[in-house]
Amino acid sequence: MLRTRVIPCLQLVNESLVKSVKFGKYHYIGDPINTVRIFNELEVDELCFLDIRATLEKRPPNFEILHQIAEECFMPLSYGGAIKDAITAQKILSIGFEKIVINTAAFSNPLLISEIASHSGSQSVMCSMDVRKNIWGKYEVCSHDGTKKETVNAVEWAIKLEQLGAGELLVTSMDKEGTWSGYDVAVTKSIANAVNIPVIANGGAGSIQDMADVLRFAGASAVGVGSMVVYQKKGMGVLINFPDKDQLNHILK
Amino acid sequence: MKICTRCIYDATIPGISFDEQGVCSYCKQVDDLSKIYQTGLPEGEKKFQQIILEIKNAGRGKKYDCVIGVSGGTDSSFLLLKALEWGLRPLAVHYDNTWNSAIASENIRKVTNKLKIDLSTYVVDNKEADDIFRSFLLAGVPEFDASTDIGFVQVLRSTAAKYKIKHILEGHSFKAEGISPQGKNYFDGKYIESIHRQYGKVKMKTFPNLTFFQFMKWVLIYRQQFIRPLWYIEYSKPEARKILEESTGWAYYGGHHLENRATSFLHTVYNPQKFDIDNRNWSLAAEVRSGILPREEALKIYNTPIVPDPELIMYIKKRLDISDNDYNAIMTGPKRSFRNFKTYKKRFERLRLFFYLLAKGNLVPMSFYLKYCFPLSDEKK
Amino acid sequence: MITIINYGMGNLGSILNMFKRIGAEAQVCDKVEEIAKAEKLLLPGVGAFDAAIKCIDSIVGLRDVLNMKVQVEKVPLLGICLGMQLITDNSEEGNLPGLGFITGKTLRFEANDELKVPHMGWNLVKEIRKSPLTKDLQEDSRFYFVHSYYVKVEQSECQIMTSKYGKDFDSVIQKDNIFGAQFHPEKSHKFGMKLLENFARI
Repeated sequence: MLRTRVIPCLQLVNESLVKSVKFGKYHYIGDPINTVRIFNELEVDELCFLDIRATLEKRPPNFEILHQIAEECFMPLSYGGAIKDAITAQKILSIGFEKIVINTAAFSNPLLISEIASHSGSQSVMCSMDVRKNIWGKYEVCSHDGTKKETVNAVEWAIKLEQLGAGELLVTSMDKEGTWSGYDVAVTKSIANAVNIPVIANGGAGSIQDMADVLRFAGASAVGVGSMVVYQKKGMGVLINFPDKDQLNHILK
Repeated sequence: MKICTRCIYDATIPGISFDEQGVCSYCKQVDDLSKIYQTGLPEGEKKFQQIILEIKNAGRGKKYDCVIGVSGGTDSSFLLLKALEWGLRPLAVHYDNTWNSAIASENIRKVTNKLKIDLSTYVVDNKEADDIFRSFLLAGVPEFDASTDIGFVQVLRSTAAKYKIKHILEGHSFKAEGISPQGKNYFDGKYIESIHRQYGKVKMKTFPNLTFFQFMKWVLIYRQQFIRPLWYIEYSKPEARKILEESTGWAYYGGHHLENRATSFLHTVYNPQKFDIDNRNWSLAAEVRSGILPREEALKIYNTPIVPDPELIMYIKKRLDISDNDYNAIMTGPKRSFRNFKTYKKRFERLRLFFYLLAKGNLVPMSFYLKYCFPLSDEKK
Repeated sequence: MITIINYGMGNLGSILNMFKRIGAEAQVCDKVEEIAKAEKLLLPGVGAFDAAIKCIDSIVGLRDVLNMKVQVEKVPLLGICLGMQLITDNSEEGNLPGLGFITGKTLRFEANDELKVPHMGWNLVKEIRKSPLTKDLQEDSRFYFVHSYYVKVEQSECQIMTSKYGKDFDSVIQKDNIFGAQFHPEKSHKFGMKLLENFARI
């Protein structure tokens, strides 16, 4: 197996790319199609698009943009954002996306995961969980772009999602996101230990070493990157980029 | 048809005249500028060292002492390299019109990271940028990319103001690029406003337009100075590219301004096909003048038609949401000019003396004065 | 002209996009009469084995036409991902019979602490023998894999390339005019483009 996947997780708000910090305010990044072209030319491993406000703003997925994105991409693509039924999921898969990402819908309709998995295979279903530490130090799960607290705890929810048929879990730390201070190794580890499906650590990457740390110490199977691929460096300007391949190969294996 | 005996500008270039040896007025202009700035000569170097000292003094105690506009292209990338050699502490500034090619982004990344220079970027909302581009196409005027040029300057100036920096370094070289011929092309903030008002659909909220008022604010209150190092020192583009490639991994994108897709569309498709404008003569003439390219070679290149990239045309139609029919209508439709719209041109001409003084004081670029404060040559007739 | 068989499961959009990008003529077809006229066939597939077989069998006459085109007319056929598994005899994932074009079976990867299933990510390929499909592929070519089941062909001459995930498994197979690729060339950048270019030239 080659070195682990490093997946730019791009936040879409309708037709624009943005980047949020700790699930709060977001900053405009640019045009999604042009950005995809750049990542394509940089031959990145995979791309994940999440329309973070679709559910809250009661918008369906923007199929037109997704179509245009898929036409430009010759690497695996996943999309998440207001996927509420199997028909929408199927439509997105047939446009040219390998995986659909389900987050909020899993709480109100958990069987949706099984339905999509049984028709298109579990490898096409990525379940996304947004987690944060509460004041008691326990990890709780939120939905609706981090605005609604759910009653289940992180590990329990991960196990449930696996049982329902998820092929992969995207675990995003709400506390670490956009901070460049490293992933939440603890929560990633507790989830990776509890399930057999691949776990993608997400939220907080500031350097390639951060990626190496979460892979080694938490047992994550892949890493998501956000701020690192859309800014020149912490606190500086927008610049679409991808970490140097040789460095990645050397440090990550 | 008469062609300059020294470069390749011909009689169709507006405002051109030829002397007894058949050498054109643009060659003369380059010679004059070389003399004034003592380009590549000890006197020029000395003058420039003086300027560097001024920049360092003015920047003492601040995080950065100068601002350098970058695009991923040869000149601006080279300037970053030189700035460090000169002991300056630059802030790289980029205006992202959301049409960057991967090579441009990569070049910016490689150069700023290798040289450890901070980068500040302003990204315009993609829908607004596209709306302005589309408006210019619908208006039938040649200046498709005006918003990028104007936006770039406004972002440079406002970033400099934000960090309280007085000196803005620009990578323009009259020797390597030539002075762009006084053409039918013109742009300013009012022009963009007028075209957008008539043809635009998306409100301009994030586009950094440079209004006259803003312009005066930067010039008179903030007193930002534009410095063009390459007007003083020896500069060769091919050599610069080689140095950049070797020291930072920078890569050449194959042509003037082709690192941005919108600009690429302007130069390789829109201007040549609709207006019969081929801007390759700017850099070709400059290369001939500086002895990099033999004149015959340059003429041969210039006389070979530009091969447009069909994928680029598809991208334009897709991104600007223009059907094949509408695209054809635009390309074969009426040709208009800035004179059909409200602009600041007349105002700049009326204030010619004022801007001359500002140019002398380095508060506006001399090239601005030359280009904006005189009626365009086809009006003189 | 490459005819991409649309039986209801598969990433047709992406495959078409890549063919378009490399300048190869390709069309998507779900009608048996059209498939019967094809010069070259591509069998995509994303999803579960039995679901796919059911879809294929629900199209009246499709299996027969495929048998005729592939076994009799010897038209080139490339099966991608699940498509490669479908051309084997059967799969542990389901109960229904495969198309049986290449003798072999499809087995499940065994998950353990070290090996997460599905095999999802970029992996290398090792050449076992030459094939027009894999001609001139650069040595460090990498491809995108996403599958929980792998193929084991019965005749070793059919093994063209293998990859390693826990154990070695067949990643490219061929029997005369019939080809299979376990990875997704349409999602493997320039490496996938080279492979599909080769297929277009066969």
